[in-house]
Amino acid sequence: MFYTPKNALYTRINRRKFLELGGGAASLLGAGSLGVGLNSVIMRTPVQAASSDDAKWKQYSGSKLVFMSENTPPSFAIRDKIKEFYDLTGITVEIMTDDLPVVQQKVGIDLRGGKADYVLNYVQDKPIGAPFADYYVDLSPMFGDATLPQDPEGYKDDVWFENFLTACGRYYSADKVVALPYDAAVALTFYRQDLFEQHGKDFEAEYKYRLEFTKDTTWKNVLDIATFFKKLKESGKDVPYGYAQHQGTFAWTTQLDIQRVMFAHGRWIDFPIDDKIGSKTPGKTNWGDKQSILMLQKFKDLADVSHPDNLANGTLELNSVYQSGNIAMQVQYHEFAASIEDPTKSRASGGKTGYAPCPKGEASWITNGGPAVNGCNCGIGGIGINKNASKDLQRAAYIFAIWSTSKNIQYDVLKGLGGTPTRKSVVALPDVKAARQRPTKMPNALTFDAVYDYGIKDPHFVLGPKIPEANEYHTLIASETQKLLSNSQSAEETAKSLQSQLNNLNRV
Amino acid sequence: MVEMTAVQMATRRAEGVPVPTDKADKLFRVRAVSTEVEARPLEATATAPTKLNPTASKRYYFYLMAPAIIILAFISLYPFFWLIIMSLQDADIGTSEWNDFANYTRLFTDSRYLDGWVLLMKYSAMCLSLQLGIGIFLAVIINNSRFEKFLVTAFLMPMMMAPAVAGLVWLFLYNGTFGWYHWLFQSLGFLGGASILASTSTAMLGIVIVDVWQWTPLITLITLAGLKRVPQDQLEANMVDGASPFRNFISVTLPNLYPVLLIAFLLRFMDNFRFIDSALVLTGGGPANSTKILPIYLFEVSFKFFKLGRGAAIALTLLVVTIILGMILVRVFDRPQVKKG
Repeated sequence: MFYTPKNALYTRINRRKFLELGGGAASLLGAGSLGVGLNSVIMRTPVQAASSDDAKWKQYSGSKLVFMSENTPPSFAIRDKIKEFYDLTGITVEIMTDDLPVVQQKVGIDLRGGKADYVLNYVQDKPIGAPFADYYVDLSPMFGDATLPQDPEGYKDDVWFENFLTACGRYYSADKVVALPYDAAVALTFYRQDLFEQHGKDFEAEYKYRLEFTKDTTWKNVLDIATFFKKLKESGKDVPYGYAQHQGTFAWTTQLDIQRVMFAHGRWIDFPIDDKIGSKTPGKTNWGDKQSILMLQKFKDLADVSHPDNLANGTLELNSVYQSGNIAMQVQYHEFAASIEDPTKSRASGGKTGYAPCPKGEASWITNGGPAVNGCNCGIGGIGINKNASKDLQRAAYIFAIWSTSKNIQYDVLKGLGGTPTRKSVVALPDVKAARQRPTKMPNALTFDAVYDYGIKDPHFVLGPKIPEANEYHTLIASETQKLLSNSQSAEETAKSLQSQLNNLNRV
Repeated sequence: MVEMTAVQMATRRAEGVPVPTDKADKLFRVRAVSTEVEARPLEATATAPTKLNPTASKRYYFYLMAPAIIILAFISLYPFFWLIIMSLQDADIGTSEWNDFANYTRLFTDSRYLDGWVLLMKYSAMCLSLQLGIGIFLAVIINNSRFEKFLVTAFLMPMMMAPAVAGLVWLFLYNGTFGWYHWLFQSLGFLGGASILASTSTAMLGIVIVDVWQWTPLITLITLAGLKRVPQDQLEANMVDGASPFRNFISVTLPNLYPVLLIAFLLRFMDNFRFIDSALVLTGGGPANSTKILPIYLFEVSFKFFKLGRGAAIALTLLVVTIILGMILVRVFDRPQVKKG
């Protein structure tokens, strides 16, 4: 077959032998592939699966799912426990994690491209859920399906914390649920109790009220506190800045940062729509009205007395500023309490930090006639299933979704890496209740009074706008607000610019 | 002898007539030959090539190149034509609808697009001028150094790093809370309270510094290669005439470096128009769009907002302008060479 020199030292393989060897290898490969393939084919019908609880969990044994998620504690904790899920179901789940903008790009391409490389997705309410809602499976028909395992607590709104199921699972229609609440990041105020006590007398002498933080503390009070600390600092005292904003590169949290101030004053929202369900045709924006211009001005006033690095501080960076003791107060998401209370990473640990709801609206700043509320917003991460996947894979993914959002798993995550439960029953467990007080082994539980008992409830809770163009909307809000804070334009110019760009975005 | 050309001498040799052989004549003859041959029309001097079968030969070469051409067409031309088609559509992933030239007409009223161009020009100009200046300076120093090999290795290190990783490293160095460079800049009085990336007036400089840090070594490397080819006799002659080292550099070294510098300039110019990795990591275009150079806006439109049609239109305009600017640069910078010739 091949040329071989006459004096070759090796034995020549003839053509017949070569073909025999090739054929044998091919047969072995084929048989191996068939074996692997047969192993991963669903061998039972749903009817057979319904025969026992064990059969329901194991009906998709041999399947493989990929879950694309944000790099948050629940995903890491669940990855650590994934063997338990495999032992229970025989389903292999690969959990891939990345920063939210990257997750958004990857799942966006997968979903819109008609692919199902990622059968399970982390459905963060606005950045992922709002633009891609139509590409997720409606889970409602699977709830109560006798051929699938079910969570004994069920999936109705009342088993989750208030507004959670709607926040991450319902888009543009109340009838469909496309994701189950998987983790949560709800905003609240972190403040340095020790510094407040230390400077309380001076503050009281100047502003005529106590330096403290309660649910009735307003944004005007925050402005006063930030001004007070800045003056102290400028007078040469060794104190941190009073406040800092989330105005860095992450557009979504920048939008959330200003949304809290806007909503607190008269429950102002961007579009005249049901903010929690959202709309594909949101209509004309409210930006440009009198209330929005006034609030932008107040937001700018606050920025002027805040930490000077505002425009570089995204959520993570801002938390580092607080951990390092460079600010006395921040509005931050409750999942960060674990890092704040870690003495190896934080100067604000050891009982120095107090937790309170987001600041309330200042009545004298309200021009639209609405109430003053504690504008609290959030990011509720759901777990959703890619509609492009086969029916069997969708059902297999459902099994993982209900397992990963179950009470026991959430409890383990809370104990382990510091998760943020979404089921009420987790918080009702005796040791979680006890963990709400210091000393605690579950530092996130220190925030639960402010978050679960107050901030996420109506009328304080604000979510939207859920619109298909959510990501461009976030970017516009972030860049225009940053222009205001960097003195490139006035509050009125900012509001008008947002009005024109958002109306253009929504084609109205 | 003066009028005797190479052809004439070759003819005389063929006829058995002796030709001059002393050293002076040889030198003289060489100069005479080169001048006349270059000045003559090609037909008069060139010997006719051995005749092959041109048709068969072309076909043969085409078959040899065909696989490469087909692969190239698939990986390059096919996407390029799709890009053009997409730019004429209201395209999303999986769905598309013709909208004629709406994506293009929209660009003229899109302030983020127009600002993106201005920022890109500013960014490129800053990067290129700094990289060329520093790159040439370093190359000259390295060229005259005893530690050339060590220095080349050391200076090339930044280039070996993935741009996104470089961006992350510098993001930490610039960080206002724990960044070492932030502390240094503040201590030296260059910065106020805000970090370099937190101010609209300094953020652009922040991303330029990273680009200069990472890609100046490329200019240094190319220039160093050029310096090795500068004729020593010209340098020595100039020095004998009393020129200072600086004068020598300006009048001898630099003109000889011209072709390699042109290549380096073009490479970096085109890179600056398309590389966004480190800038994306460092600022994402912020704050307040102050670093949103056009490629970052293009990335945002295409992969954050998923407006692929709009993204394709932006990409095509970027491509066309890059090509035109590249051609203009070549013409402008190539002119002295033509004159010299």
